[in-house]
Amino acid sequence: MSLELLTDILIATVPLMLIFATLFAFTTWLERKALARIQNRIGPNKVGIPCTRISLFGLGQPAADGIKMLFKEDIVPRGADRLFHLLAPILALIPAMLVLCFLPLEFPWTKSLLPVQAFLLDGAVIFFFAITGLNTLAVFMAGWASRNKYSLLGGMRAVAQMVSYEIPLVLSAVIVVMMVGNLNAAEIAKAQTGWWFVFTPWGLAAFIIFFIAALAETNRSPFDLPEAESEIIAGYFTEYSGFKFALFFLGEYIAMFAISGLAVTLFLGGGDGPGVTMNLVDQGLPTEAFPGLTVIWFLMKIFALIAVMIWLRGTLPRLRVDQLMGFAWKFMLPLSILNILVAGFAWHAEQLDNTFITVITWVISLAVLYGAASGLNQLNRPNVRPREYKYAE
Amino acid sequence: MSEQIAFWMLSAIAVLGALVAVRKRNLIHGVFALLVFFAGLSGLFLLLLAEFIAAVQILVYIGAVGVLLLFAIMLTERVAGDDGRRMTSRGSFWGLVVAVAVFAVLLLPAIQELPPPEAAQAIDPSVKELGHKLMNPYVVTLEVLALLLTAALIGAVTAAQGVRMPKEENSPE
Repeated sequence: MSLELLTDILIATVPLMLIFATLFAFTTWLERKALARIQNRIGPNKVGIPCTRISLFGLGQPAADGIKMLFKEDIVPRGADRLFHLLAPILALIPAMLVLCFLPLEFPWTKSLLPVQAFLLDGAVIFFFAITGLNTLAVFMAGWASRNKYSLLGGMRAVAQMVSYEIPLVLSAVIVVMMVGNLNAAEIAKAQTGWWFVFTPWGLAAFIIFFIAALAETNRSPFDLPEAESEIIAGYFTEYSGFKFALFFLGEYIAMFAISGLAVTLFLGGGDGPGVTMNLVDQGLPTEAFPGLTVIWFLMKIFALIAVMIWLRGTLPRLRVDQLMGFAWKFMLPLSILNILVAGFAWHAEQLDNTFITVITWVISLAVLYGAASGLNQLNRPNVRPREYKYAE
Repeated sequence: MSEQIAFWMLSAIAVLGALVAVRKRNLIHGVFALLVFFAGLSGLFLLLLAEFIAAVQILVYIGAVGVLLLFAIMLTERVAGDDGRRMTSRGSFWGLVVAVAVFAVLLLPAIQELPPPEAAQAIDPSVKELGHKLMNPYVVTLEVLALLLTAALIGAVTAAQGVRMPKEENSPE
């Protein structure tokens, strides 16, 4: 391997890790602040610049948390499988970090590095799903290695949940791949310059399904059953402390960034936004008003999705296990399969290139999707009668 | 040169993973060693520029088969993994014979074509080409496979439900 290639690879990957690790620190602060606001508290507000009285709304809190985690004792239960107990947090972080490479982020400094564009593989979307799926193994590994029944229950829940929600997640992404006819993440983002997929009926339905399934995949509330603190203490990381715990935390947030990044790539137009125009000269990358604008748009869209996730966490209660499974298999799966059919018809209608037919297709597909969603909702409604009181009025 | 190093490293990982998977008595350790083997195999596919196959290898074998294996172990009482019971294997001689025979049959076409043809440029394992091949000449095969899998699924559900007593039939949910 030549030295040049090595430096190219480092230039492409190291900023990615630094940027997302910094964003992780900021997001933990943002989440604590936002949740505190929702719950009528103040949240972290003391830590700022050390040795001064400047607190900066508690922005120094992530650094303080990190230092605390680093110096805490690492406790391993006596019955634990020591090797797996050590490997699990590492395995939780690596896939999450790895998939960041597949996001079509066009940094100004990577544009000249053509060989490194190998990360923008032809099958980037498939690779993305393949590698994000590994996260579940880490969760199971942690739950099993801890030799604690609550940990094991958390790990089992994670596996069951992932097996169910992976299907609607992938099926909703299939629609975008069908419409573009390409699995390359950069090509998918480029195809949406000016008109994002979320602005079509089938794209909107797919985006909503994708987002809900993504919440379940990253164990976010309201789907955080593997770590349901009111039922199984802390789930799979009950027996983790110190920096191993911090690694789980980091892995979870990086996975959130990654899956939000994929949602942005597939449905929200990638780095598209005001100031970015389609490149009509050589059909290459879109031209931007100033270098780095697409990256800024991309990260802002990711943050918009993260904000929605935080908002949902503050608002919705946790699902029960049966509700979780029923929702995946009886609602999301039929709807996403129907959506693929609708998208197939819509693709053929678009080939005709007739405005009237396009409008008709839009109206019909909107009606079909809305009708299917409300019909499934009616079918799945639990049969609950008003409560009868025996010994009271 | 770097390809050689990568090849030997990945092969070593795959072979070691396979050996550990066979030798370990602890079921969960065995499954994870098997997953290491799959990962090494996927890396080898990547080295052959078959990126789609590599991705599918991870998606299907690690993401689906591995998780399902863990799922199946979880549903048994041996979820703790280690148990002292020795599994005595009888007929290991014939097992060895069958294994060698299968290996030879699989390897035979490759040996016949030694030295390997310079086909790195000729084959185009792009996703698009694969899709066209699957949808055009091999569509019947694909459909038959899908039917087979559906039949297996229905069979599994029937087997899992067990035989219902005729009395219970009049109480649907």
